[in-house]
Amino acid sequence: MGNKMTGPAAANIAAAGPPRQKTHIPNHPQRKPQPTSWLGRAWQGSGPGYMFLLPWFIGFFGLTLGPAIVSLYLSFTDFDLLRAPNWVGMANYVRIATSDPKFAASMGVTLFFVLFSVPLKLAFALGVAVVLNRGIRGLPVYRAVFYLPSLLGTSVAIAVLWRQLFASDGLVNSILAEFGIEGPSWISHPSYSIWTLIILSIWQFGSPMIIFLAGLRQIPGDMYEAASLDGASKWRQFFKITLPLLTPVIFFNAVVQTIDAFKAFTPAFIISGGTGGPINSTLFYTLYLYQEAFGFFRMGYASALAWVLVVIIALFTAFSFLTARFWVHYDD
Amino acid sequence: MTFSINRRAFLTGGAGALALGVINPRIAFARDVRLRLLWWGSQARSERTYKVVDLFQDANPDIEVDGESAGWDNYWSRLATQTSGGNAPDVMQMDYRYIFEYARRDVLLPLDKYMADGTLDVSNFSKDSVAGGQVNGKTYGISLGANSVAMMINKAAWEEAGMDMPQPGQTWEEFGDQCEKLTNTTKRSRFYGCADQGGLEPAFETWLRQRGKQLYTADGKLGFDEKDASEWFSFWVDMRERKACVPADVQSLDQLTIETSPLSQGRAGACFAHSNQLVGYQAINKDPLTMGPYPVKSGDSRPGQYRKPSMLFSVAGDTENPEAAAKFISFFVNNPDAARVLDVERGVPESSKMREVLKKESQEADRIQIEYIGSLGDKFAGPLPPPPPKGAGEIQLMIKRKNEEVGFDTTSPEDAGAAFVSDAAAILERS
Repeated sequence: MGNKMTGPAAANIAAAGPPRQKTHIPNHPQRKPQPTSWLGRAWQGSGPGYMFLLPWFIGFFGLTLGPAIVSLYLSFTDFDLLRAPNWVGMANYVRIATSDPKFAASMGVTLFFVLFSVPLKLAFALGVAVVLNRGIRGLPVYRAVFYLPSLLGTSVAIAVLWRQLFASDGLVNSILAEFGIEGPSWISHPSYSIWTLIILSIWQFGSPMIIFLAGLRQIPGDMYEAASLDGASKWRQFFKITLPLLTPVIFFNAVVQTIDAFKAFTPAFIISGGTGGPINSTLFYTLYLYQEAFGFFRMGYASALAWVLVVIIALFTAFSFLTARFWVHYDD
Repeated sequence: MTFSINRRAFLTGGAGALALGVINPRIAFARDVRLRLLWWGSQARSERTYKVVDLFQDANPDIEVDGESAGWDNYWSRLATQTSGGNAPDVMQMDYRYIFEYARRDVLLPLDKYMADGTLDVSNFSKDSVAGGQVNGKTYGISLGANSVAMMINKAAWEEAGMDMPQPGQTWEEFGDQCEKLTNTTKRSRFYGCADQGGLEPAFETWLRQRGKQLYTADGKLGFDEKDASEWFSFWVDMRERKACVPADVQSLDQLTIETSPLSQGRAGACFAHSNQLVGYQAINKDPLTMGPYPVKSGDSRPGQYRKPSMLFSVAGDTENPEAAAKFISFFVNNPDAARVLDVERGVPESSKMREVLKKESQEADRIQIEYIGSLGDKFAGPLPPPPPKGAGEIQLMIKRKNEEVGFDTTSPEDAGAAFVSDAAAILERS
């Protein structure tokens, strides 16, 4: 996030250049001769700034904006990698909107995943943060340990590990067998497979937890002191003080995690072997997009799917911001 | 995606990778011509391919060959991306399913010129095996070996249960009975007669051909109807109900790779695959394996299987070194030392001379394969079907999904059959 914010913001400042009135001070011996061209003046003011930003610009234009624009163009074509793209107008978008059963199915799977994984993960992260915030000894160690899964989270290795845990003869079933229960193969049963992915996502609660911890530290201790003097229970303190004062942090975490959940790909890809199976039960939207693009070479259609996802995520985020003023309390 | 590498295989692989890195002779020479080679396949295939590359480089000091491999799934996206970017490998492994697609788009080099001037020697190939790589009368691929579909059988599992293994010429019903019996008699825990192959396209195709139908017609339409599909799914419902095959949640772990097959996972006594894969299956299975043809409709039913090029080598249309590429392929299919290294891992060699070389020095697994391909005859193997139309890859995935839907009781075999035909027709129309 930080990277994305500083780039354009810094660029704007640099582009503004030096204040106008300084540019013409006649016959000042110490001053270098001013370049007369517009370009030269601009360069002298902000050139070094741009130079420092160059690596970011190259990355942004070459690897993000350029491909994004090309994909927008391709979404109006029937590009299949081997032949030159043909313009097909809105055909791809019309198909998505009207006659693609897999679009609805995969969007359903993704929404289910978002609706369950995000609240559960945030609740879990907040719970752990509250416990850790009580001044436990060795807090940095716990913090690091709990954060670790977030670092490993989207890696292939963890997805493979998950596959082993929840397979028919995996660790989970071995434990269940101790109690005489013969569990199914969790990852390959259409009723449970999505839940193994949700649990995997909850397990990666580290980064929202760190942010919650920072938020909890900001709440002034005298508020709790006053509340407990008035006889408020711990629960009441939590709901009347902690939660309201934490809403900006909760809001931030919710937005970031929702966007992340929409984009989830690797775990479903590895666990289902790229098929989204069994019976499309783990066919995340991103996985469907990948199948269309790299499985069936419908690059044009896949590009259209990608842009639809962009719009959906944007709508969700806009909705979050619109509703925020009804429940997020900024301290002012 | 290898989830079941045992420790020894891991160490061997690691040592192999290390050795390749340390004593890589390719760095030592400055070579004039550079070829890029891309293939798909298992670790076993990669080791063999690199060895042949070394042999070729020793014989041709002026040519350098850079090899690169991928799994089947990633292979086609990688190849398409590279081809689209004008960066196709000079020599690429090609499949019968895709060669028409690529040849029609003019991204492959016709090899007839090099076959005529002897750079690419196919004089010991049969006419049919050369024809397997031809599109519209031009040769775009050289077969690296012949294969056919085959049933992989865990010999030990059947023997220790005191049972006969599935026999050639058995009907599907007899096969089912035998599998049920194995499930009931075996002492292995959670072990079943065979894998649930209702979602496996080649199995469905074989079954269709035995009934005089086919998967696709020559003009790219479906060659079967709802009733065929429903009966096929019903057969596997019955197999699951009497526990002749593995349950649905075990089967859906199968990602259509050797490593994830219920046979390799130690859950089934047999599974359906391709004959050249016996090498790959045996490499990761401790129990001795053997193979036989798929079951038949009845004793005198039409042949369902067919012999086909298991894979081919094609040359990129825009290669800078067509001569060297032709030379490499020729070496690959005609050099006796290369044949010894490659063995039958890519199928039984098409060159009659190379088959002689292997027959003399062959080991058990090779002998089984050479004999198997030879024994199919007209009883089991019929003519090569027309090349599958565009969209066939998507339909292949859909068979798997429909069989899962039936397996998990979310639909009936009748509805699945009807939905399969209409969905598949829609895919063909769209492609």
